[in-house]
Amino acid sequence: MGASLLDDVLADTLDPAYEQAATARAAAGAPLPSRRRGRTMVALTMAVAGLLAAVTYSQAAASAQGREQVRSALIEDIQRDSGVTDELAVQLDTLQSDVARTRDELLAASAVGQGALDDLARAEQGAAAVPVKGPGLLVTLANADPSADADPVGGGTTEEDPRGRVRDGDLQLVVNALWAAGAEAVSINGQRLGPTTAIRFAGEAVLVDFRPVTNPYEVSAIGNPDTLWTNFLASPEVRSLAVISESFGLRFDFARKDELHLPAASIPELRFARPVGAEAPTPTPDPTPGG
Amino acid sequence: MIPIIGLAAGVLLGLFLDPTVPLGLQPYLPIAVVAALDAVFGGLRARLDGIFDAKVFVISFVSNVVVAALIVFLGDQLGVGAQLSTAVVVVLGIRIFGNAAAIRRHVFRA
Repeated sequence: MGASLLDDVLADTLDPAYEQAATARAAAGAPLPSRRRGRTMVALTMAVAGLLAAVTYSQAAASAQGREQVRSALIEDIQRDSGVTDELAVQLDTLQSDVARTRDELLAASAVGQGALDDLARAEQGAAAVPVKGPGLLVTLANADPSADADPVGGGTTEEDPRGRVRDGDLQLVVNALWAAGAEAVSINGQRLGPTTAIRFAGEAVLVDFRPVTNPYEVSAIGNPDTLWTNFLASPEVRSLAVISESFGLRFDFARKDELHLPAASIPELRFARPVGAEAPTPTPDPTPGG
Repeated sequence: MIPIIGLAAGVLLGLFLDPTVPLGLQPYLPIAVVAALDAVFGGLRARLDGIFDAKVFVISFVSNVVVAALIVFLGDQLGVGAQLSTAVVVVLGIRIFGNAAAIRRHVFRA
């Protein structure tokens, strides 16, 4: 016999029972067993084998089909629900403009209302709650071109040099320099900066107002183009950023624009802060009796 | 000839009747098919070797199918069902290959 289990398995592929039966038959003088019954049994067994194979095949096919059905149903669900979300966003937009229009109409009727409306408009502009347009400066920051400095032959480093990437600090620097230079409204890649908007770094992505913005970063600032230009250039941070971007291959451009359109920022919900002098809306403190 | 007719009849029966298999038995069907395939190839080779025996064939078929399913069932109970089915498929697969090679030598003399 084979030296190992594997040899055994590889050598004895035929059931030894056949051999034994044959030798037994030869020893007993070859009385062939009833051939007809044997044939029917073999045919039946083969039928069972065929049945087994066919059933297994149809089971496998059915389960594959079932998976496909579930998958397409899920995809349909996703598409339908994102359609619903889009619809709701549109509805929200129309309702908000309805509210604003109705409010404006009602307030415009009286002198007090007119004053309130003017206050509201000022507050909304200050809070970056309304879209604005005007002349200004467009500053473009972009990651270093990977091919600019890379070794084309033996480099093997597909990773970008992290120093060639624009970081949140660079954007903060540019934005602060723009505010300091007299910008009245600033947006990054179409994300308007409100009073509480943060510019942060999360992993590989720069987040503005917790939404990711991608390379290249276009900072639009509305203000007097001439003073913006001169003050922005005069700021020492911008000069050092220019030197840094020069040495690491970052792109750092700026251009005067006659017309920039900035969208509204998302308004933060104030949960704890409330205007001085206003009544506390919630939670209502116990009214002092007789007070 | 008769065995081939039986096989075809079984396949057609299975495809047209499409019987529902109890959920508990479904995992053992593929293993049972591999075991049946091994018995069928063994029988074919024995026939070509001239030592075919109907009784041996039927018994080897039934026991192959039952034992293979039983081993996998046991493995499932012990938490090694996937590994044991792999073992069964490997061993039976090697046997099927060996028998197929022997049949090839008989048919093509090569």
